[in-house]
Amino acid sequence: MSLHRLPLPLPGFEHIKRAWNNSYDAFSARLNPGDYYVTKSDECVYTTLGSCISACIRDRISGIGGMNHFMLPASSGDNSWKAAGLSASTRYGNFAMEHLINEILKNGGKRQNLEVKLFGGGRIIANMTDVGVRNINFARDYIQTEGLRVSSEDVGDVFPRMVVYFPLTGKVRVKRLRSLHNNTIVEQETTYLHNIEEKPVSGDIELF
Amino acid sequence: METNIAELVQGVGNLVTLPDVFIRINNLVSDPNSNIADIAKVAGQDPAFTVRLLRVANSSFYGRSSTIDTVAKAVSIIGTSQIRSLALATSVASSFEGLPNSLVAMEDFWKHSLYCALSARILAKQLRGCDADAVFTAGLLHDIGELVIFNRLPQQARDSLLLIQDTLEELPIYQAERQIMGFDHAHVGAELAKQWKLPQMLSECIEYHHDIHATPKYLREVTLVHIANILAQMAELRTVDIDDVPPIDPSAWEILGLDADEMIPMVIEQAQAEIAEAEKIFLGK
Repeated sequence: MSLHRLPLPLPGFEHIKRAWNNSYDAFSARLNPGDYYVTKSDECVYTTLGSCISACIRDRISGIGGMNHFMLPASSGDNSWKAAGLSASTRYGNFAMEHLINEILKNGGKRQNLEVKLFGGGRIIANMTDVGVRNINFARDYIQTEGLRVSSEDVGDVFPRMVVYFPLTGKVRVKRLRSLHNNTIVEQETTYLHNIEEKPVSGDIELF
Repeated sequence: METNIAELVQGVGNLVTLPDVFIRINNLVSDPNSNIADIAKVAGQDPAFTVRLLRVANSSFYGRSSTIDTVAKAVSIIGTSQIRSLALATSVASSFEGLPNSLVAMEDFWKHSLYCALSARILAKQLRGCDADAVFTAGLLHDIGELVIFNRLPQQARDSLLLIQDTLEELPIYQAERQIMGFDHAHVGAELAKQWKLPQMLSECIEYHHDIHATPKYLREVTLVHIANILAQMAELRTVDIDDVPPIDPSAWEILGLDADEMIPMVIEQAQAEIAEAEKIFLGK
């Protein structure tokens, strides 16, 4: 452990838990629902997704990039995220996507070099309305509106996933998780959902 | 540690009991003076089992085209020792209904067990002198210790699952359990098998499916279940990438004398083709 020196985090990401990982021979940053992380270093970001979605975005030339992990809250009286323009739920999604992109640009990334990959949005509980697909549609639509393109994705289906992303190289490893994990993942995502529904996003987002 | 596990399992003694029909058939099969008619009579006294038995006998599992409409016919085509396996296999899921948990859906739990049972059965058919129905039952029972842990130690079970989700490397659940609790579901399952006085082959498959080299006697059957457990995970995840699942013991294929590259896709594909019918028969769906 002492052989490996933890690279300094970019300002604002000091709270993200990181640890040395032997099999990847790199430090790894662990994201929970609602987190995001941007780095310039040769380290990986990973998270576990049920119906939540993660966008992995990087500047393919400079290698700066990162990952977010979010889901749209269900806003009352607005089942379709497209329906009422800036509903509370899309505001939250915009917030998660813009934070990630803005941090990349702020640290030297160029918009024209951005490469986007999407993961998650699984339908991990059979008899539930498909919140995963809502998250997928939002993320795809957001990327398109921003004039960006999704270069690869592994979304939907019935599996939870563990996603490991190396922003420097763009390498991704997606591992499907057994249904054994469904309930605990749903439980964590539900707790996160309650938190964001109680504290709706307000204020403006600074655009770059 | 030993006493902890024994107490843990004793604590569920009233909630989970072996089906009566299995105990009675088990006694008859072990009794040299009994005959097929005796076994058919006992089987026929349990209406729920009769229904399941006829379903199995008429299913593609036994590849019969003619209609099997009586218990006696079913017993004679299936065979007496296989009937004993089936009596356990068709009722074990309902036996555990008294042991609910909020961590893992019973449906998901039994689906994995059933995939393991099917994979073990498919592999067993590649081997000479291997009782495919007994191995099927072993596959169905291999994780029963989990249900005890989920019900009796929900916090530790939850921590074990969260540890896996938090660990970047592949961390098999038995290793997570050992880290959190000092023992794993195989130890607990083995204790349950002991209290139930299950046949030794079954209890060894339950106890050693993660630790095949410690197997005292039934190495071949334990190895079948060990491999089947991993292939079951691949079938569930619809993957053919062995990096997506915990590793198979490096000597396992050699013990069986089977070729991994040939078997893996064949077993997964066949198990996926059989799962829907098997769910209807064994899980009453």
